[in-house]
Amino acid sequence: MRRLGKYVALGGLVAFLASMGNVMAQECPIKLGAILPVSGPMGQVGERISNTGAFAVEVFNEAGGVKNCPVEYTLRDTQGQSAVGVDAAKSLVDLEGVKALIGAVSSGVSLPVLTSVAVPSKVVQVSCCSSSESFTALAQEGKTKGYWFRTYATNRSQAAMGALLTTEKGFKNTAVIYVNTDFGVGLAKRYVEDIKKLGGNITSMIAYNESQQSYRAEVTKALEGNPDSVFLVAFPVDGATITREWLSLGGTDNLIVNNSLRSDDYFKAVGHQYLQNLVGYDSAQPRLPSVTTFNELFQAKFDGPPNGPGLHSVFDAVTVVLLAMEAADELTGDAIRDQIRNVTADGGIEVYPGAEGIKRAKALLAEGKQIRYVGATGALQFDANGDVQAPKMTWKLNGTENKETGYYTTEQVADLIKRLDK
Amino acid sequence: MILQHIADGILSGAIIALGAIGLSFSMKILRFANFSHSELLTWGAYFALIFASFTAAFGPGLGNPVGPFSFGWKFLAALVFTAIATSALALVLHELVFDRLRRTANHMTMVFASFGVALLLRHLVLLLFGGDPIYYSNALQFAVLLPGGVRVMPDQVFLLGVTIVVVVSLHLFLTRSRTGISMRAVSENPDLARVSGVNVASIVRWVWIIGASGAAVAGLMYGMTVQLRPELGFSLILPLFAAAILGGAGSLYGAVIGGLVVGLSENLSVMIIPTTYKPAVPFLLILAILYFRPQGLFGERQ
Amino acid sequence: MIGVLSYLIFFMILALVFGIAVLGLNLQWGYTGLFNAGVAGFLAIGGYAMAILTGPSREAVFGGFELPFLVGLIGAMGAAGLGGIIIGLVTLRLRGEYLAVATFGIAVTIQLVCLNWEYLTGGTLGLIGIPNPTHELASAPLAQNAIFLAMVVALTALVYWGLQRIVNAPWGRVLKAIREDEIAAESLGKNPALIRLTSFVLGCMLMGLGGALYVAFIGFVSPFDFLPIITFQIWTMLIVGGSANNRGAILGAIVVWAVWTGSGYIISQIVPPEFQAQSGAMQAVLIGLILVLSLLFRPRGLIGEKLHVSRHAKL
Repeated sequence: MRRLGKYVALGGLVAFLASMGNVMAQECPIKLGAILPVSGPMGQVGERISNTGAFAVEVFNEAGGVKNCPVEYTLRDTQGQSAVGVDAAKSLVDLEGVKALIGAVSSGVSLPVLTSVAVPSKVVQVSCCSSSESFTALAQEGKTKGYWFRTYATNRSQAAMGALLTTEKGFKNTAVIYVNTDFGVGLAKRYVEDIKKLGGNITSMIAYNESQQSYRAEVTKALEGNPDSVFLVAFPVDGATITREWLSLGGTDNLIVNNSLRSDDYFKAVGHQYLQNLVGYDSAQPRLPSVTTFNELFQAKFDGPPNGPGLHSVFDAVTVVLLAMEAADELTGDAIRDQIRNVTADGGIEVYPGAEGIKRAKALLAEGKQIRYVGATGALQFDANGDVQAPKMTWKLNGTENKETGYYTTEQVADLIKRLDK
Repeated sequence: MILQHIADGILSGAIIALGAIGLSFSMKILRFANFSHSELLTWGAYFALIFASFTAAFGPGLGNPVGPFSFGWKFLAALVFTAIATSALALVLHELVFDRLRRTANHMTMVFASFGVALLLRHLVLLLFGGDPIYYSNALQFAVLLPGGVRVMPDQVFLLGVTIVVVVSLHLFLTRSRTGISMRAVSENPDLARVSGVNVASIVRWVWIIGASGAAVAGLMYGMTVQLRPELGFSLILPLFAAAILGGAGSLYGAVIGGLVVGLSENLSVMIIPTTYKPAVPFLLILAILYFRPQGLFGERQ
Repeated sequence: MIGVLSYLIFFMILALVFGIAVLGLNLQWGYTGLFNAGVAGFLAIGGYAMAILTGPSREAVFGGFELPFLVGLIGAMGAAGLGGIIIGLVTLRLRGEYLAVATFGIAVTIQLVCLNWEYLTGGTLGLIGIPNPTHELASAPLAQNAIFLAMVVALTALVYWGLQRIVNAPWGRVLKAIREDEIAAESLGKNPALIRLTSFVLGCMLMGLGGALYVAFIGFVSPFDFLPIITFQIWTMLIVGGSANNRGAILGAIVVWAVWTGSGYIISQIVPPEFQAQSGAMQAVLIGLILVLSLLFRPRGLIGEKLHVSRHAKL
């Protein structure tokens, strides 16, 4: 009798799974999978990224969706854990039948997803936020098979911008405080090299581990050597803790911050009034109508400006993938992969974000024309490794607004890097 | 700089100490390692936030600033409110989960039930309050320069005082009051205490109340000096356990010394090793101490 | 249906890889009563040993010996076993929660070493390009995963068989005797310290094996794979499945991993799109709830310990 019960349970399980399988046989809606950390220490960042990704899908659907089919945005939480992220990605691909993957945020999750799910299953993966140099190395070895893209500019150009900003401001002795992840370590090391080339001096390099209860020890150590400025590579929550402790303990308010701190959460948490000498750089925000369009769309939707890590880049990641789907003959990973470069190719007719822009892009594609999507991060150009180069800008806080103070085209940034790498 | 590190260590150790007291008691008297204890710190901090928003008429946040502090008299009321609310939450958990399990299961099952409860409590905060960090007061407090070049924030010195008051009152409670003495009896030998007519069930509830109140105060203090976020308690869990174990389960002063040792060792360690290894320091210290005293500094040999 | 099958294979690989580590923990906790809270550390040792032995060589990073997969597995078990001996000698005189906090601290230290010692571990970047042996045997991903699953099933069965032999042998009864009453066992002429250490080291080797399989399957290792949460997951699997029962340990691994990941699927099906960003928190609440309820209603786990009474005892 007990054994019979087991078989009945087993049969039920099989039937349940079979019914799940039937769901994916449908053609409409087309599913787009997202694997992002929406809980845990990165939850605050991940949640805003996810909402923006969902918003990009909404905009696309307003323009009629992909191949006249509405797109469904399906989010799964990684909890910041690689095993959970990998399983979520696999279940999105196999059970939900998603046509492409967006994510993840940290490279420690994106990379396992890429090697164990996206590449073997031949599904395109576009990350908004992973910055590790390992992806470039993997692509050069041919291990990504072209399924990997990221709309987030690599560390190299960010470090150069940070160093340029520091020396332009005339700071001579800079402390570096950075998050101990592939992102922070890579960026901080490059920055120090660049600063030395530009004639600056580093008083200390302090790495911090994420999600600690307090950073007083790190801050106290960084205060040694009396720096006249500090370069902070952090995410908003820990970044705010560090900045508050830094300022409270008498640290200079000459802060140079990386792009993920261009976030209202960070400004509000520290207090705008204390950050009036803060300067930063960011990718994106080129002087293009496309960016203004995105900013206006975002403002209308979320009732606030799109200030925060990964928001511009996730919007573009989603839009590029959907455009590539629209352009592809069939919704296979290979076809989508090949079209991603086509819809962003130099020489195509420029199209911009927003329902109108997408409608125009679809019309052009239907006519067989070549298009070039110029989005929230400007004109995306993926190189052979799926990496993107983007124009840069510098900004500062003015009251509660953050204002653009300088603009560097992709070419100018490339020149700067060439000068520093000599 | 060494003086600064010592000052920082004592101030952050004080918060850990307060949180560790309840954990230490529950390990000794309730006989299981309660992973959800750290979530009581989180809830304590957020209960105070609720109080602050409901009483906004009596001044913003924790009241109009008095003297060099970032808070006012309302702080004391918030302290009492959050201690009561957090105790109520702890008693609910006790009735719904832990008391039932205590009758049917071994202590390991309780440990993992507490892990499940922690997961639940933490993410309920995330659902109810959102993931953004919150501050009782957005004004930044600047450190005061003391002789010797040491910078401390007035709030933190005040909170050190609160810790001392709490520890002294707990000491008096344990040594003078009838409940306190019974509690120590249960801690020494529950069976003997029971046959001597001690109401063990009521003592167990008192342990929860004391632990939760300490956690609430520690959470409020942490929220004042750093920030409120759903991972507040979770990020403190390792230091809390380290402090409780280091001092020896069930020892009031052990937990306090344990908290201070953890705070000091973390802060002083960065003078000799890279900051990236800092989280390991309290553990290696504990390993060294336990190697010579397997029952902790103030624990009794079993 | 192919999708479901493909996912199920993938799911079972990860569940059983964890299952092998749970079996190791069961030997330590279930049969010997050693509260090892440093599981993540031993997974990491095994995983990194695998990566160093079988991975491609990298500039400025130690290792990359490109040795065969089997050598990697054995090396990983050896490395974790060696780690177990050293750590066991230092900590096994501690009891209960004291042992737990010591081993937990060691796991934190191991993770920090992985994170910061770039020459050995590649630091925060981790090590990429670790070969998956099935990629030489088949070209279709589904077939590759099916072969990998067959291998993991075989290894799990082998480990299960070996452990059953051990725990049902006289040595296994000594383990339980030590767990229940160490002094009594000692008075019967047994050497509890040595037996505890042996059990601990064997368990650590199995965790190393689990870590190595995980890394070979994923093809990548980084310090972020071995966060303390993994230790809790492995423990939860053991307690929910039923400690001191090897079948319970395997069942627990499958059930808990199904709850942990399946809750995400369920939530994504029932939560309206505008609340998707909260789905992570809801999933965690659901996992917590299921864990607490299952312990309330099955406090001894799904399959608990079978009580053995001597044949000669008169009841």
